[in-house]
Amino acid sequence: MAKHQGRGFATIEYPTGMNQNGDPSQAWIKLKPDGRVDVFAGTVDIGQGSKTVHTQIVADTLGVPYDWVTMDNTNTDSSAVCTGTFASRGTFIGGNAVRYAADRVRERVLAIASEEMEIDPADLEIVEGEILPKGAPSKKMSLSEIADAATYKYGELISGQGTALKPLAEVSDHDGSVTVEPHSAISYAACVADVTVDDETGDVEVTRLISIYDVGRAINPLLVEGQIEGGAMMGIGLGLLEECYPHYPSAEHRGEQFGSYLAPALEQLPDLDNVILENPSADGPFGAKAIGEMANNAQPPAIIAAIHDAVGVWVTQLPASPERVLRAIRAKAAPRRDGKHVIFDEELSIRTVTSDGGAAFLNTP
Amino acid sequence: MKAVGARLPRYDGIGHVTGRTSYVDDVRVPGLLQAKVLRSPHHHASITHLDTSRAEKLRGVRAVITHKDVPRNEVGLLEPQGFPADEPQLARDVVRYRGQPIVAVAAEDVDTAIEALELIDIQYEERPALFDMRLACEPDAPQAHEWGNVYPHFGPYNHRRVRKGDIEWAFERADTIVSGVYRPQAIEHVPLETQAALAIPEPDGRLTIYSCTQAMYYTLSIVATHLQLPMNRIKVIGGTVGGGFGGKVDSASDIVAALLALKSQRPVKWRWTREEEFLASSTRAAWHIELSDAVSSDGWILGRRMTTLHDAGAYARMSPYGLTKHAFHHTGAYTIPNLKFDGFAVFTNRVPTTAMRGFGVTSVSEATEIHMTRVAEVLGLSPWEIRLKNANRIGDTTGNLVAMQDPSTVRVTLAAAERIGLELAPGFRNMTGDRRSGDLLPEHLVAQQAPEGVHVLSRDATANGGGS
Repeated sequence: MAKHQGRGFATIEYPTGMNQNGDPSQAWIKLKPDGRVDVFAGTVDIGQGSKTVHTQIVADTLGVPYDWVTMDNTNTDSSAVCTGTFASRGTFIGGNAVRYAADRVRERVLAIASEEMEIDPADLEIVEGEILPKGAPSKKMSLSEIADAATYKYGELISGQGTALKPLAEVSDHDGSVTVEPHSAISYAACVADVTVDDETGDVEVTRLISIYDVGRAINPLLVEGQIEGGAMMGIGLGLLEECYPHYPSAEHRGEQFGSYLAPALEQLPDLDNVILENPSADGPFGAKAIGEMANNAQPPAIIAAIHDAVGVWVTQLPASPERVLRAIRAKAAPRRDGKHVIFDEELSIRTVTSDGGAAFLNTP
Repeated sequence: MKAVGARLPRYDGIGHVTGRTSYVDDVRVPGLLQAKVLRSPHHHASITHLDTSRAEKLRGVRAVITHKDVPRNEVGLLEPQGFPADEPQLARDVVRYRGQPIVAVAAEDVDTAIEALELIDIQYEERPALFDMRLACEPDAPQAHEWGNVYPHFGPYNHRRVRKGDIEWAFERADTIVSGVYRPQAIEHVPLETQAALAIPEPDGRLTIYSCTQAMYYTLSIVATHLQLPMNRIKVIGGTVGGGFGGKVDSASDIVAALLALKSQRPVKWRWTREEEFLASSTRAAWHIELSDAVSSDGWILGRRMTTLHDAGAYARMSPYGLTKHAFHHTGAYTIPNLKFDGFAVFTNRVPTTAMRGFGVTSVSEATEIHMTRVAEVLGLSPWEIRLKNANRIGDTTGNLVAMQDPSTVRVTLAAAERIGLELAPGFRNMTGDRRSGDLLPEHLVAQQAPEGVHVLSRDATANGGGS
């Protein structure tokens, strides 16, 4: 009877945007007469902070203070198409849509400023809500003045729209080959898990998670850390706690309330050490890639490797519940060796559990 | 101040933690009806008799709908991608999972709606149910789905395939072949906000739907297709979700609420109970993954054979998509020149599974990363160094021959090693993700390499990928 320490790690990758692409996000932006900025996009904020991130992207693309920008994502009448908040596509694809729209607004602002200031638009820039002639910043005008002139003198609604869409990648049903890259960018992560395993109860505690994420560019590091930490807890749920069908493959005994389904809670919170690496993407907004979904993918295999490091057993039916860990410790299963073959988990294989050696699944051409 | 890169707080954080954010269930409208749904008590059954007349006559009941009231009952979530529809909004003559909706009622209050459900006269004939996807093709397996137990629509195949290089060469040449079986489990999304929709028939004939959807336009399209209405007749209001994690993409509550509102001409709310959320809402799928790696004694992964079974549950929903994504990423963050992958979406009589954070790839990461550590152990090599050796590099190609432009496998792995003070051997410590050369470009990796500027390598280039 003892507690054993173990350490494991994993390295993973994850694509940005829907697999095979073809998933547009569209946005449009208009200026109020005082130069304040209204962004309309259909990006649903499921708690990850996409509305904040979109607003940051528009503020810097346009050259205005962050608090000048307001985003409306409330309905399908005023917003254009957004395929949806999934596939880790919000910051990259939704963010590119508002960036492209802001680029067009910027062009119109500079065109009108050029008339007002009698300076070529190529010699103007927008900084903190002011239009500055390059090299002669004292001759500046405010964006408020330009928007006012557009509204009341030139009769123009300064607006712009943008669509981010990567064309659909056709897939060969025969060999899986594709016609174009089936993603927008790829993010990477590594995770080190430290665990303590109790060999009497089978209980596993994750004591520390070290997470390294290459997100391209962190538009908002605070929100990236939020994703890393929320994902870490979900990863602990996947690795150690959660299961819809506790007696799988039986469909009985499902948890039907919070008291009978083990979702991770603060009780499981380990020490978290988060590292954000920035290796910018070629065409994401300000070099961003994605962080959303991948954030719960690296912990489960790192935890399983750490359990093996601690007590020398492999648990490959997830989650590694106390019962499974105890059974594995008692079974002390070793792989079967046959010539150059080293075969683990044979008892779980289709080869073993079917009447014909799993021919329907394994004997494909 | 630059906004990009700043640690700005979430605009909605204060509202969320002080209870001031308005969710679907917080919307108040006059004349609101409450919806309840009769769900299948059986995992698999024929519906032999259905009579809703007593429920319709109950005082306070304003609308009762069955499959006959849905203008288009079967709409596939992946129809725009060319995958056919299979799931009815309301079951017709068969139920394929416990919790499947059959009849919906809108009444003046929840108690009346529940009472109405009890007045529905329905009889079932139970059928045998399939739960273990490994047994889907046994001669005596129950038939879970009208298409058979294996999803049949990957072109001419019943499985998603990846073929790269020369798999036979790799397994022949290997010094060791390491095989394992990995079974990532089904889990719940567990949102605090259960599935909820509020549909309001407007005086001008339009329909407003307050939705908890993660994808307003997708929901607009799905609802409009079920209702056979043009998009401008429906306004979806949303944008704020009380926890989604992938479980609020399928428009689970919007369509029934919309149909009841149109039939009753009253606003209708359908808010699922916590028990319904746990037992009848979609889950992350369980997966069964069999993996064999052909490896050399010095730690090169020469080839991988992988067979994946994905538990779709009773209907296809997003499964073909998730399985395809799984297939595209089945080598993880590493470069493997010879591949044979087969992925099957298997129907069972479980609640249909759908997207969840990491859809299709979480299971890959779990299986392949555990396997990677095992392979290192079998070979007596460092689990760090075997990963760095086989790591994606610029110009390496994936299973579908997509060229890596700027992979960070090496970068993040070295950063993790440094964080824990791990001393790697000199050849690994200074490794980069740059193009392969020298010892890191052995003969067997040459054919899979893409020239600079190429994003997808031609299939012909790797016909003899073994390089032997």
